[in-house]
Amino acid sequence: MSSTGTAGLEGLVRVRPPETGLRPEPTWDEAEVVAHEVIGGRYHRLVLHSPSIAARADAGQFVMITVPSAPGERVLLPRPMAIHRRRVATGDLEVIFNIVGRGTDVLARAVEGDALLLTGPLGRGFEVPDGDGPVLLIGRGIGVCAVMGVAEDAQAQGVPVLAALSGRTRDTVIGEADCDELGAEPVIVTDEDGSSAIEALETILRTRLDGTPPRVVMVCGSGRLTRLAVALGREWNVPVQVSLEAHMACGVGYCHGCAAPIAARDDVEGPLVCVDGPVFDAGDFDEVA
Amino acid sequence: MSLATRLSPPALDDSRGAFFDARPPASGDVDLSVTIGSLTLANPVMPASGCFGPELGRLIPVDEIGATVTKTVFAGSRGGNPAHRLTEIPAGMVNSVGIPSKGPRGYLSDLHPAYAELGVPVIISVGGHRPDEYAPIVAELDAAGAAFEINVSCPNLDRNGVDIGADPDAITQVVESVRAVTDKPLIVKLPPMVSSIVDCARAAESAGADALCVSNSVPALPLDSVTLRPALGNVIGGLTGPSMRPIILRLVWLTSTSVQVPVIACGGIETANDALEYFSVGARAVQVGTASFSRPYAMVDIVRELTQRCRAAGATTVAQLVG
Repeated sequence: MSSTGTAGLEGLVRVRPPETGLRPEPTWDEAEVVAHEVIGGRYHRLVLHSPSIAARADAGQFVMITVPSAPGERVLLPRPMAIHRRRVATGDLEVIFNIVGRGTDVLARAVEGDALLLTGPLGRGFEVPDGDGPVLLIGRGIGVCAVMGVAEDAQAQGVPVLAALSGRTRDTVIGEADCDELGAEPVIVTDEDGSSAIEALETILRTRLDGTPPRVVMVCGSGRLTRLAVALGREWNVPVQVSLEAHMACGVGYCHGCAAPIAARDDVEGPLVCVDGPVFDAGDFDEVA
Repeated sequence: MSLATRLSPPALDDSRGAFFDARPPASGDVDLSVTIGSLTLANPVMPASGCFGPELGRLIPVDEIGATVTKTVFAGSRGGNPAHRLTEIPAGMVNSVGIPSKGPRGYLSDLHPAYAELGVPVIISVGGHRPDEYAPIVAELDAAGAAFEINVSCPNLDRNGVDIGADPDAITQVVESVRAVTDKPLIVKLPPMVSSIVDCARAAESAGADALCVSNSVPALPLDSVTLRPALGNVIGGLTGPSMRPIILRLVWLTSTSVQVPVIACGGIETANDALEYFSVGARAVQVGTASFSRPYAMVDIVRELTQRCRAAGATTVAQLVG
């Protein structure tokens, strides 16, 4: 669903405090492919018609997409994907993925009019805290997809958003058009011009924020960016939330395939990315403890 | 932790509505029931241990399947194996979740209430590292379980994949000890990779098993095709999914012709037709595992289609259908 695994984040990630509100009830749906677009020759954006899931999804939640049978190709397990956009008015939702294996290779063959089985919305999404200052979103690659729903909510609530969108090249950066549509301020950084380097991005963010700390930092798509977010959150004394990915089979909590290796003891299972996340708190929790 | 998840009520536009409402009429023309010891199930379809949780009750009408089967409960608390815990291969998946468990007390307090609410018999899967670990767990859970599945065959617990279920004498010891502490039906889940599954099956039956489950997953070592390193954190896992079917069909055929007790087939069942294949070689019930991941409603579909297939053929039972 994103490209931030838990490797290297031990001690920086923990389950968030219990929710105060209700989480949307998951459902499943045969969703029609409304559009399929290739972005930057690399990413595939699918628009899927699923009014029941689009209407109830929270920002940062995900869906499990069952991969249809293709000639000579049988993919058994559904693939978790972040809900990039929710378009309640048309009953659509959007996902974006990169071809990384057999499952995404088959999904990339989807054409308009195909039906895909979706289960969702799943997991615990982002929660924007009350406070002053903008929301700072940091996403790299398809990790941008996990955080973009926050910009949708922030627009509705009149909360300003600064969105750092990182990618290898200018034409593969995801989210610029979404930011324009949602009134969020994009910060495009790339590997090809060096601006995505951690020190460079930090400098750009400080300049853009101009001394006004954000109320929260939300990050997805890179362990290095997560560590930067944690460092900035500590300096600014603001919460940091990170969306993680894991291999999973069911998406709803019973297969236990996605336990994050952040349990304090060997005889206790780590939190499940699918139901205890995918959004976790990020910080220097070892030092706090 | 997952069972405490806060959820909002289903929305009125819930797309599952038609599926939930579509249950077949409860007329008595087709009888799918199956008897395991003193327990009669309304139909022969149940989940494979580890491939079900009360969470699935939010997505499907669980009361349409014959029973639920819990994840295996061990004596102590287990955290499970390191990531990655599962990977996919062509026509199968390999998992090495490592059976995280909260022990019998944790099961009763944290998990059983949600199972009990589902409205179908709860078969509690019990595991152990040594033969003497099983009976105390069953004794502690005796009141909660409608039946017990004795898991002597999880391949993920020892790195070399050798387990109690490969030794008929150890099976006898486990089943006799459990039989002594409960009157509830006992299902013994056997491993597939043994020198003689018939010897294992007969040992279980002689020691008091009311049914056999054939079988657990096949020990496997999947590699990452790019790095050529193990794809699983535990290196070795258990292969499941449709690639298992011809392997397990053979084992079900061998066991069902060697014992009197019912054999429950478990191996790559995705559709009612897959179930009928197993019934035709002697199985009396089926467990569905991997298929539920991609199609949450797979078990309910199988129950409904078995009913329809019987009706269409003018049969009142599955036995008549498969001849």
